[in-house]
Amino acid sequence: MNQHIDPGSLRADDGIERGGMLLHVDNISLSFGGVKAISDISFDVKKGEIRAIIGPNGAGKTSMLNVINGFYHPQEGTITFRGEKRRRMRPHHAASQGIARTFQNIALFKGMSTLDNIMTGRMTLMRSNILSQAMWFGPAQKEELAHRETVEKIIDFLEIEHIRKTPVGRLPYGLQKRVELGRALAADPALLLLDEPMAGMNLEEKEDMSRFVLDVNQQFGTTIALIEHDMGVVMDLSDRVVVLDYGRKIGDGTPDEVRNNQDVIDAYLGVSHD
Amino acid sequence: MSPAANGGHGVSPDFLNFIETVLNGLMTGVMYSLVALGFVLIFKASGIFNFAQGVMALFAALTLVGLQTGQVPFAHLINAMLGTDVHHWGPGLPTILAILLTMVVMIILAFIIEKVVLKHLVNQEPIILFMATIGLAYFLEGFGDLMWGADVKALDVGLPTGGSFWWEDVTRGWAPEGADYFGMYIDTLDVSAAIIAIILVIALTIFSQYTATGRALRAVADDHQAALSVGISLRGIWVIVWSISGFVALVAGIMWGAKSGVQFSLSLIALKALPVLILGGFTSIPGAIVGGLIIGVGEKLAEAYVGPLVGGAVENWFAYMVALAFLLFRPQGLYGEKIIERI
Repeated sequence: MNQHIDPGSLRADDGIERGGMLLHVDNISLSFGGVKAISDISFDVKKGEIRAIIGPNGAGKTSMLNVINGFYHPQEGTITFRGEKRRRMRPHHAASQGIARTFQNIALFKGMSTLDNIMTGRMTLMRSNILSQAMWFGPAQKEELAHRETVEKIIDFLEIEHIRKTPVGRLPYGLQKRVELGRALAADPALLLLDEPMAGMNLEEKEDMSRFVLDVNQQFGTTIALIEHDMGVVMDLSDRVVVLDYGRKIGDGTPDEVRNNQDVIDAYLGVSHD
Repeated sequence: MSPAANGGHGVSPDFLNFIETVLNGLMTGVMYSLVALGFVLIFKASGIFNFAQGVMALFAALTLVGLQTGQVPFAHLINAMLGTDVHHWGPGLPTILAILLTMVVMIILAFIIEKVVLKHLVNQEPIILFMATIGLAYFLEGFGDLMWGADVKALDVGLPTGGSFWWEDVTRGWAPEGADYFGMYIDTLDVSAAIIAIILVIALTIFSQYTATGRALRAVADDHQAALSVGISLRGIWVIVWSISGFVALVAGIMWGAKSGVQFSLSLIALKALPVLILGGFTSIPGAIVGGLIIGVGEKLAEAYVGPLVGGAVENWFAYMVALAFLLFRPQGLYGEKIIERI
């Protein structure tokens, strides 16, 4: 099964062992005007694990992902990714460093076909310049075909062959989510950020998606950080969980540890102040 | 071939005149489409209505003529400051070389526009970006004047000009025997322009459909945030888009310049592109083409058939009337995206 996609084949190896530190966020604080979205959050993601970020609505989960992939620039704190320390970064740099993501409210290119959407995921791995592309010149053509081959493997893997040529705007929600995962996978990501991959899905679609997430993690060794609301899914999938509430971190550990953490229980079930 | 010798096919001259009007309208329409195309490219990729598109065509044409005839750029400025009298540095460059160099100038211009203007206006309101392009239009007009002078220049890139005798001969035989009909007039330059425009559109389509950069352009046009997340650099794309519309402007500039001379009124064709865009939709390339053709044909027909009733000059306002009607009944244009707003 491993010949499906060859992760890291094009991206330089970072020399981090499985289980070593891939991402480390330190004392991140982010505010919009006077509103604090995240205050002083630190956690890490180890290579090869599935790391879940959970918390009630408005806890700052999506903001955290946006900080990691460069959409938001935190006022304080640093991010260390593959040994490189930084505070602010542009999204396309984050992408070329190997951070791929999906969005809570699907952000696909609606007018483009499934195939084209997933091909855009290869963008950071393309080397030929615009002039040789315009001339449909030898190397550019060869490169396009090589990338196409990888993309076809991803399409096989996600079982979406039948919609290869369909404009994604016409697809049902569950399939769009799958195409979006495919686009992120196409980047050969070192770190895959999934923002509520199962939101709005029915049970069957959720099971499919869970299977894909696990397969990606186990077959290709891809490190995944995901936000999810379905606690069953989180507990089944993830190796470690970080819990946020009102922009602060209130818990961090294995699913079992987190489940028994009093602060987490309070945040989810509410606590009486008497 | 005289009508008598041919025997005639019996098509009424009135109908032949109608066809002639339509044909000429289509040719004019192609020119409008060319200008509108530049607008659509930039609007799709960045949501900017580039008021400077017409001036870019003018600037490209000025540069081309300047290089072709060997003018010294900024001659007036140099002469005024240094008291010299320079005007030409030589016999000029061959046409092909001059066109290539002009293209390089347009790409450099795209870089500068991105660096100096757009970069600082990311995430601003569309109206602010629009104002910036108005400023750009005036700056570029003045800069073109300073660089190449304000006189009307003839542009000759070696395309055939004048009426086609062949077509006149062929069509003369279509009228009935003895009819007072002398064949259709069609400008060969218009025909070349139409052919070049068709090639340009096909090339642009192939580029955007089958290359990685083309895919990136479509991606950015579709969803900015998603495009960023897959590693597309918006600023890089903007430079490419402005370069491509610079290229389209160059083609438009060559055609208009060859037809009516390179003069500063060329920048006003931007205003003629507006009704075309309202008709075709701001985000649709086929819309720009079809819109241009409809306006071109409509204008000529209105001039020929409505003109005599109202004393002529219909051509000047017809396009805007059509646009107004469209705004009332189909504001998104023929091919534009439907505007559905959640309330």
